[in-house]
Amino acid sequence: MKMSSPGLTSFVIYTSISLVVSGLFLVLTLLREHTWVARVGGAGWVFLLSMIVLMPVVIPWIKKRRG
Amino acid sequence: MSRGELKKANLTVGGMTCASCVVHVEEALKGVSGVSQATVNLATSRAAVEYDPAQTSLAEMKKAVGEIGYEVVLDSAQLQVTGMTCAACVEKIEHGVGDLPGVAKVVVNLAAGSARVEYDSSLTSLAEIKKTIRELGYEAEEMAEGQAALDREREARQREIRRQRNNMLLAWPIGFLVMVGTFQPYWFFPSIVPAWMNNKVFLFLLTTPIVFGPGRQFFINSWNGLKRGLTDMNLLYATGIGAAYLIAVINTFWPEAGFGGREATFYEAAALLTAFIILGRYLEAITRGRTSEAIRRLMKLQPRRARVLRQGQELDIPAEEVQVDDLVLIRPGEAIPVDGMVLEGYSAVDQSMVTGESIPVEKKAGDEVIGGTLNKTGAFKFRATRVGRETMLAQIIKLVEEAQTTKAPIQALADKVAGHFILGVHTLALLVFLFWFFLGYGAWFSPESRLILTPYLLTGMGVFGFSLLVSMTVLIISCPCAVGLATPSAVMAGTGKGAEYGILFKGADVLEGTARLQTIIFDKTGTLTRGEPSVTDVVAASLLGETEVLQMAAVVEKNSEHPLGEAIVKGARARGLSIADAESFQALPGMGVEARVNGGAVLLGNRKLMSERHVPVDDLLSEAERLEGEGKTVMFVARDGRPAGLIAVADTLRENSGQAVKELKKLGIKVAMLTGDNKRTAEAIARKLGIERVMAEVLPGDKAREVKKLQSEGLKVAMVGDGINDAPALAQADVGIAIGSGSDVAKETGHVILIKDDLLDVVAAIQVGRQTLRLIKQNLGWAFGYNILAIPLGAGLLYPFLAQVVSPELAALLMATSSLSVTLNTLRMSGYVPPIRRTKPPTVMRTAEAPVPARI
Repeated sequence: MKMSSPGLTSFVIYTSISLVVSGLFLVLTLLREHTWVARVGGAGWVFLLSMIVLMPVVIPWIKKRRG
Repeated sequence: MSRGELKKANLTVGGMTCASCVVHVEEALKGVSGVSQATVNLATSRAAVEYDPAQTSLAEMKKAVGEIGYEVVLDSAQLQVTGMTCAACVEKIEHGVGDLPGVAKVVVNLAAGSARVEYDSSLTSLAEIKKTIRELGYEAEEMAEGQAALDREREARQREIRRQRNNMLLAWPIGFLVMVGTFQPYWFFPSIVPAWMNNKVFLFLLTTPIVFGPGRQFFINSWNGLKRGLTDMNLLYATGIGAAYLIAVINTFWPEAGFGGREATFYEAAALLTAFIILGRYLEAITRGRTSEAIRRLMKLQPRRARVLRQGQELDIPAEEVQVDDLVLIRPGEAIPVDGMVLEGYSAVDQSMVTGESIPVEKKAGDEVIGGTLNKTGAFKFRATRVGRETMLAQIIKLVEEAQTTKAPIQALADKVAGHFILGVHTLALLVFLFWFFLGYGAWFSPESRLILTPYLLTGMGVFGFSLLVSMTVLIISCPCAVGLATPSAVMAGTGKGAEYGILFKGADVLEGTARLQTIIFDKTGTLTRGEPSVTDVVAASLLGETEVLQMAAVVEKNSEHPLGEAIVKGARARGLSIADAESFQALPGMGVEARVNGGAVLLGNRKLMSERHVPVDDLLSEAERLEGEGKTVMFVARDGRPAGLIAVADTLRENSGQAVKELKKLGIKVAMLTGDNKRTAEAIARKLGIERVMAEVLPGDKAREVKKLQSEGLKVAMVGDGINDAPALAQADVGIAIGSGSDVAKETGHVILIKDDLLDVVAAIQVGRQTLRLIKQNLGWAFGYNILAIPLGAGLLYPFLAQVVSPELAALLMATSSLSVTLNTLRMSGYVPPIRRTKPPTVMRTAEAPVPARI
């Protein structure tokens, strides 16, 4: 697969943003008292929902930009 | 690649369940290189595609739609091919047929001597495929079993019903056991349900086949869409079911993980959620199909066989193979296969299925017959004039189908909302999760709280489990299906209902436009009036009686081709008078005629003629002026230089013109009349009908300007007309209504076509339009109202006050009920009868004199 293919570019973008969002979630949980299950489980759910929200936004956007 | 001429195809797409699917399929089709436009209608399950055949094919579109979890349902035919001898023949046929624009796949089997063709009949007919094979040098006949697969849409729907029914047979009984097992420790259950049924591993074993069996479709379809950047309802279901199942599994096998422990499993949520969603899909598949019953009924009217006379031989052939000019034989009780003109015989034909008129119509030599109608009593022979896709019935079906794939302006908002709904709901679910995780749980969570309508306590629930539960409920409770279905299902029911009464709406926008009309302009001649003069009054002077005056005038005009002369002859014949031949006849241009009848010199004409021949008509003048004041044309009759009487001729009103105007006024619509005729005649007619606004002496080219003038007053205007000269006005009007017996140009330009010549159908069209708009508003109100109320409820809005949250399974039930209620509300249209048609017409046979609708 070429590095510049829209699919791969999109994948890198939406996955990175989702990881950042879930990472932020994790950091926030560290500021309070939570179990690790809640932290990791919560970060996982946030990551999943972020991916679901971002994929349909990023993929068409990249496709459009690439014409 | 060069860009060729664009083609249009109407594809049937199976597996769509909600508005998101529409967006999904549209995107997939638009993503195919060469497709310039794709509009998908959920209610009809049709996709109208415009594409460049040089760049793409039907097969590629089918593949693109298939890849995201839906199915393009094409017609298929199994043909018996004879004359093939080798593999080259196979290739030849496969290439030859495969090159036809609407053919997606051809598989030829040399050994079996058969060919299976998948094709779209809106682009290529079966007859064209067979013709191509014949042109290649082989013989092709339809195999018997292929004929059973005519109703493809119904088949696709039944397949979906069967699939979901099988899923339900698995999901419901097991889901019920899971529910009983889950509630075993509560209420009265401990006394009747054994404790082992609450064993979490047992519940795990029961739930897993439901999630990965019937529930599998949601995961696969949502993933297929997601990896192409497309979301649909399946994603909501998949995340909801998946999360519930995953937590239950964790709590079963790792109870210390902090998700609420063994007592907080959601197996019943995962199982019942799947069962409810499948129930919703099953019920939708059943009810949604019913809304297109009207169009299916029309399709069913197309007879399969025809008996034709070719080279003196009577042949029984498939109806689609009847050719123009074929002689077709019809026996009593038989359906008429194609449109044509009667050559011999006499019968009464029930045309109600096509024109909506309940009275059988008399048919004799020279009358037109319509394919799909039913012969009642006699037998006759007719010459085919329009066959295949040209028949009136085929064109009605096409028009209704096309109308059903268009979108009403009122749908724009719903489309916008539905298109972003899934994304919005997931975003909301994320926000709701974050809110309850960081703020809500700490502020309001109570160990005594429970799920609404269950004994299920949330005591052991941790912050993550609780926030996840609420977030999941938001995903499940929201229902874009209802929003997406609200308008197209009502439009489909409305256009279908119109077709039932012989009113063809050419689009959803037309249906909505008709409902919003404020003013209707009628063309006079041919619309409000019959468009042909007839004798209205006969006045006799002292010389002869009225009958003799008319009879004498008819003898004079017997061979006349002048419309007024023809009216006199027709009038005399209608009164049963015998018409002898005149001894001599001479036309006097601009004045009338003179003839010799029974040795006497007879004059028939205007004042000028009487004055030139010194006939004293003073005694008749006052009567003549009175009649002329009523918009009638008066002709004087004289014999041997003495006045005999006068005959008044006028274009008479159509049977229901007066009632139509009255009913329109009752509906609050302003009625106006537009005509090129002189002011006096126009005003006389308008007075009779109770029309206040008259635009007379308008040249054909200025008719559109008059319509525009009314529109500039801010009115929504409809124009009702029949002639070529009405076409610009029909096009200019917000809604152009063309009368069935009118010119082809008028019908092509008009937005609504009335198959019958009955002006009461203008009233019926407005009533159907208004009822449809009412239905759309109710549906949208319900769909938006449901989501506005349900989503905050699912997000835990009431929790701080009641300490109760909606369970995922209750959310699924509410969601299924929501879209079902929209469909059921739409189904009410099937029993709707426009108020103007609620009185039963007398059951007598209509004579063929009433015009038969011409080409649509």
